[in-house]
Amino acid sequence: MARFLLTRLAAFVLTMFAASIILFIAINVVPGSAARSALGIDATPQAIARFEASRGLDRPLVVQYAEWLRKAVTGDLGTSFQNGVPVGPELLTRIPVTLELALLAFLVANLIAFPLGVMAAARHQGWVDRAFSTLASLLGAVPNFWLATLLVMLFTLWLRWLPPGGYVPLGTDPVANLKLMIMPALSLGLVSSALLLRIMRASMIEVLSRDYIRTAHAKGASEWVTLRRHGLRNATIPYINVAAVEFGFLFGSVVVIEDIFQLPGIGSLVLVGIINRDYPVLMGGALVITLFVLVTNLLVDIAVGFLDPRRAKEGQA
Amino acid sequence: MTTGFNWHRWRLAITGSIIIGIILIAAIFAPWLAPYSPYDLDVAAMLQGPSAAHWLGTDELGRDTLSRLIYAARISMQVAFIAAGVGLVCGTLIGVTAAYFGGLVDLVLMRLMELLFSFPAILLAVVLMASLGTSILNAMIAIGIVFIPGFSRLARAATEVVLREQYVESARAIGMSNTRILFREILPNIIAPLLVEAAVAFSYAILLESALSFLGLGAQPPEPSWGNMLNVGRGFMAQSVMLSLAPGMAIFLTVLGFNFIGDGLRDALDPHMKD
Amino acid sequence: MMENRPHERTDRPPTLSIENLTIEFSRRRVWTPVVRDVSLRIWPGEIVGVIGESGSGKTLTSLAALRLLPRQARIAAGKVRLGETDILSRTDAQMRELRGNRMALIPQDAMQSLNPTMRVGHQVGEPLNLHRGMPLRAAAAAARKFLETVRIREPERRAREFPHQFSGGMQQRAMIAMGLALAPDLLIADEPTTALDVTVQAQVLKLLREIRDNSGTSILFITHDLGVVAELCDWVYVLREGSVVEEGPVRRIFAAPQAEYTRMLLAATPSLHEPRRAGEAA
Repeated sequence: MARFLLTRLAAFVLTMFAASIILFIAINVVPGSAARSALGIDATPQAIARFEASRGLDRPLVVQYAEWLRKAVTGDLGTSFQNGVPVGPELLTRIPVTLELALLAFLVANLIAFPLGVMAAARHQGWVDRAFSTLASLLGAVPNFWLATLLVMLFTLWLRWLPPGGYVPLGTDPVANLKLMIMPALSLGLVSSALLLRIMRASMIEVLSRDYIRTAHAKGASEWVTLRRHGLRNATIPYINVAAVEFGFLFGSVVVIEDIFQLPGIGSLVLVGIINRDYPVLMGGALVITLFVLVTNLLVDIAVGFLDPRRAKEGQA
Repeated sequence: MTTGFNWHRWRLAITGSIIIGIILIAAIFAPWLAPYSPYDLDVAAMLQGPSAAHWLGTDELGRDTLSRLIYAARISMQVAFIAAGVGLVCGTLIGVTAAYFGGLVDLVLMRLMELLFSFPAILLAVVLMASLGTSILNAMIAIGIVFIPGFSRLARAATEVVLREQYVESARAIGMSNTRILFREILPNIIAPLLVEAAVAFSYAILLESALSFLGLGAQPPEPSWGNMLNVGRGFMAQSVMLSLAPGMAIFLTVLGFNFIGDGLRDALDPHMKD
Repeated sequence: MMENRPHERTDRPPTLSIENLTIEFSRRRVWTPVVRDVSLRIWPGEIVGVIGESGSGKTLTSLAALRLLPRQARIAAGKVRLGETDILSRTDAQMRELRGNRMALIPQDAMQSLNPTMRVGHQVGEPLNLHRGMPLRAAAAAARKFLETVRIREPERRAREFPHQFSGGMQQRAMIAMGLALAPDLLIADEPTTALDVTVQAQVLKLLREIRDNSGTSILFITHDLGVVAELCDWVYVLREGSVVEEGPVRRIFAAPQAEYTRMLLAATPSLHEPRRAGEAA
């Protein structure tokens, strides 16, 4: 088991490293835009040159990356081109916001997808199945930013139950925090639940067609016991794998949702970084989001290793 | 019915095709179908609800929402097709090459694809737009790049299956050149799953493009895009419901249509499907 | 006419009695009979073999006794009795009480029939939990006893293992242990030795015979392997395309088969016959 963990950790570190290279390349692909954004459209070529020299943007990409990496491993992620604020600490204050949003959205998604998917599979080809499958189809086609807009129209404009945006830390005022997080979490979670519902349904249908389910019935197990004891564990394993990927996608979508609801998270910072061509901010933010995704994948990999007795054995080999 | 076309089996794909067909027609024939020009301002008539003159009302500058919606369909469809096309072509090339040559080539290419795949799609697209600059063309490229890993993985898996069959061995044995093998033997046999994936890609491209436009990174005003119309609509939520409703509905229906086509194709082509 | 059947009794009903059973299968909404008017009986302590080729309906018949037919099949006519109990009129809840309890199934593919994510001990002991209200963990502990009965060595260690850690023969024996847990009146064994090596097969057959000898459990043994039938069974039914073509004591069936089909089956089994001369048709 230790060996299994170590190999996974090593892969994780390598992937983070490679991801940082890719992000760096992606951001710096087109030269000059950072300067022009910070100095304005009328900036003279000399002003641009000075700007770039002072920030080392005129050096070869490899050198720039090496410099960035050297500082990054010590925790220094540079300072913003716009306002000179250090990127690292700013990211730290924003991480809890994004994390809370992602986790709440994921919770919403699973609370819907898991039971409905299981039910649809248990009543395969019945009307329950068709109803839930149709629901999943429709929900999956809804853009989450549109859903967000509709939710605000309903709950803020019309019902006046919830505020339209802003943030209060969970520790300061849990009720206010939840009131502010509910619509963002629903916007993300409802759309995510569509895919997860389909996966759970498909996975469970597959499992229910297996022989060991017939064995359980032959022993006199009721439908409920069979589902719970024999079906769930086997169906959950493939489900978790997909759910993890979906969780990763959630981190991508926070960029849009945080903007809509004015949540001070990593996503809105990334957006600001893009609009201002603020490379250090963009690089830092994008990297943190990627870190979240990769950590999720790592944790899921390990979890599956524990859940599936066949897998754990492979890791020991 | 025992003979004739099996409508029942293809019903989902057909429904999707009808929806998309309608939207495509709207996009292609926009200049003839739209009652107004999408750029005509009429500030006096701004933010009106649906009326006889403006079926879907007007936006914040008095422009006809319906006309803008129709023209926006052009942009969305263009981006969807080109981005999916870019992803399909490049991804297939990479996937087939990796599977065909195997060994180190396979390892390096696929590791790279895996890495790209681990980035959330929106993040990657948004980061690429940052450096490429905000325009519709760049949106097409950025979204296309996002699709490459997915297509490459599929193409590689499909090619592996084909390579195990005998006819590639025989082709090589009689001295067929690699490129010929690629086009004559491999490609025709991997098209089917790639097309299903393409349908999915189209729907995702619509979502991504509208998200980018919503954030102000795609189509720039005064060009109409469903995404940027939604963004404006959000700002004027209190004054005009239709401005938030209509573009979102358009995106929803288009995505739904492509999803139906993708699911319908997958179901209809699946040999295990029972009645 | 009526042949002597040693296990037949007048003081008790047959363990299993199937009369004029017809099972229909649906293909594209059309129901066609696949088991036609089949009658068979199993007496207490008897090992009855049901021989037939694939598609003869032998598995469906046994599943009907358990009322575990797949969705595409239905019982169209007939009577099924387990002892005094009328199977076909039982409710679902009542059937659940019988399954694994008074009659148990030993299915064909042991590897597929075991839950890969559940320890073997838990699965083998599960009948105790389902029918005797024992908590699953206690049932798993009790399962060691059953694993011993089927001659699995180091039963304590093995009970904590997962199915993929067992060999094919051990998996099959675990399934037998699972079936025996509550000392059922009837064991339905559906081709339990088909996938096994000959030596392992012999062990399993010996085990089944011992079970019958020690506890008087009736066994319905379904197979296409005549050699196994010859070795194990007391009475034989021959099934062909959903109908019984012949029945009788195992010795007589093999020595003097009456039905054409039975003769064909016997002729096609090399181990029971003179070596065929080259060129002779089956």
